[in-house]
Amino acid sequence: MNALLLLNSLEGFFFGSGKAHVVTGVALIILAGLALSLWRMDRRLGKLEEEARTDSH
Amino acid sequence: MRAVFQTLTTAGTVARLEWQLEWRQGHQLAAVGLFAVASVYVAFQASDQHTGAAAWTAMLWLVHLFSGFTAIGRLFDRERSNVRRYLQWTASPLGLILGKLFHAVLTTTALTAVVLGAFLLFLGWPQGIESPGKPGLLVLGAWLGGLSMTTTLVFVSAVASQVRSGSGALAAVLGLPLLLPQLILATRLTRGALADEPWTMLVEYPLFLGALGAGTATIACILFPYIWRA
Amino acid sequence: MKGGWNWFWKGGSILLLAYVIVRGFSTPLQPGLVSATPSQLTIAGQSVILTAVGQPFAETEDLPEAFEVVLRSGDQLIQTEVLEVSPHSVKISVNIPPSMPSRALDAYLFTPASGTLFLGNACFVEEAAKGDVPPAFIAGAPLPKAPELGFSFPYQPNIMESIRNLLWHVPMWFAMFFIMGLGFVASLAQLRTDSIQWDMRAEAAVKTGLVFGLLGLATGSLWARWTWGAWWVSDPQLNGALVTVLLYSGYLILRAAMGDDDRVGRLAAVYNVFAFVMLVILLMVLPRYTESLHPGKDGNPGFNSYDLDNSLRAVFYPAVIGWGALCYWMYTLRLRMNRCTHHLLSR
Repeated sequence: MNALLLLNSLEGFFFGSGKAHVVTGVALIILAGLALSLWRMDRRLGKLEEEARTDSH
Repeated sequence: MRAVFQTLTTAGTVARLEWQLEWRQGHQLAAVGLFAVASVYVAFQASDQHTGAAAWTAMLWLVHLFSGFTAIGRLFDRERSNVRRYLQWTASPLGLILGKLFHAVLTTTALTAVVLGAFLLFLGWPQGIESPGKPGLLVLGAWLGGLSMTTTLVFVSAVASQVRSGSGALAAVLGLPLLLPQLILATRLTRGALADEPWTMLVEYPLFLGALGAGTATIACILFPYIWRA
Repeated sequence: MKGGWNWFWKGGSILLLAYVIVRGFSTPLQPGLVSATPSQLTIAGQSVILTAVGQPFAETEDLPEAFEVVLRSGDQLIQTEVLEVSPHSVKISVNIPPSMPSRALDAYLFTPASGTLFLGNACFVEEAAKGDVPPAFIAGAPLPKAPELGFSFPYQPNIMESIRNLLWHVPMWFAMFFIMGLGFVASLAQLRTDSIQWDMRAEAAVKTGLVFGLLGLATGSLWARWTWGAWWVSDPQLNGALVTVLLYSGYLILRAAMGDDDRVGRLAAVYNVFAFVMLVILLMVLPRYTESLHPGKDGNPGFNSYDLDNSLRAVFYPAVIGWGALCYWMYTLRLRMNRCTHHLLSR
């Protein structure tokens, strides 16, 4: 395993140390944060659109 | 048929108008020439005739690029506003842009001759490279590179002239990224011509430059009416 | 009904991307040979260690007899003896023949479960006459066994584990093309109709597309660092990508410079049409006709070398759809924001 780390740190990192799970976790957390913010923005825009619709009548 | 003839007449008139403007205002053409020669002289002083091919090429195209900007960058806001309004009402947009393009091509040709001539006069042939190289291709590359930059610049300055404040700076900001591909191709071609690389390796570059110039000129002609009558 | 469909595709894009992340990072890489030490062969009976990356190609209890290593010189195969096997390496002993067609040797490792592993130019022989390999040294061609690899990503030299970036870098550029294409159509419509509705669409598309262009540049730069050894290289594809992103930044600068001038829609549309034509020329036409390091270019369309593998395809296609849908979602949000702003300002 150490020989692999010396050979190429990316390969050793991914392959030997089990850090792939950490990378997966971080990426999923970022994705969840992005989804949450997009969803909130979507809802707020929905409200604004509703106001604009009643406004113009 | 008649429409084509009319467009060409307009183009001729606009080109002649530009030319007269150039002579009457005199200082414009002289300013560009002075800018080019002075820049080359700065390059010469900085390098003292010990320039390698890479630096030589880089300086050639920097001077060419900024001279081009000086000459073409304000092509669309030179006329006095009453002339401009007159053109706007009477001239067909296609004829107008063709005339401007024709004028820009002439200017670029003159500019290429001045810049390249001044370079060879002051800096001479780059160090560490056998003298003749491919002189024909060097000249062709400088001219085609200049032309394909110019057609893009004409479009950019047309767009920028519509912006009320600071259109000169805007032309530079919008123009530089658009000119990168032409400059990449042109510098590659110049280095190849200097180093006397075989034709088979270089033949695609003048073709690309020509195609890019013709392509941008065509798009400019198609889109210009939308800008002009806006 | 309409609301249901909306939540289906928006939530679906997020779920697809979650699947891509989990699958993309947890799928093992097929084993591939990366080095032979020592690579210079000088003495007879020299032992050489072949090292592999990716998932293990051997179990710890596997016997060396189950494995076979053959060195290829030109069109002839030289036999070796396998001494030891570990999950990621084999130790072999080579008897150097006195003569061989080429002194650069390729290595083939035949495994019972992982198929055949190959390393080009694995070793170089210091001294050998040019000629045929004497019969005593020649290996019988071993029968390759069908690999039982399960769900795993293909090994590619140089790319190795970083092949997972395919699920980020490529779909991001696809998404950018898609949304910029949408902006192009909107700008054409704007020029025909002179309507602010189309202008708002074009503006939203360019802003979203720029985000994905920047992400594409960042992931590409990271990838270039691993495979080519530099953060940035001068290459037609990379130049085109950078110029495209600068070009579209120019679109935003132009809009900002126009301020609340009422010709901004028209002028921005003209610029956007020009920019998209340049994008097509710079990213799709020019790189195909010039020499390029970038895969999928240099004359051959698509990215065939990756396309072959089914396991990669099973994650790549969801990634394309997921990123595309996410991009479109962001575009719709931007567009609705533009509409709200317009409504408030024109009240």
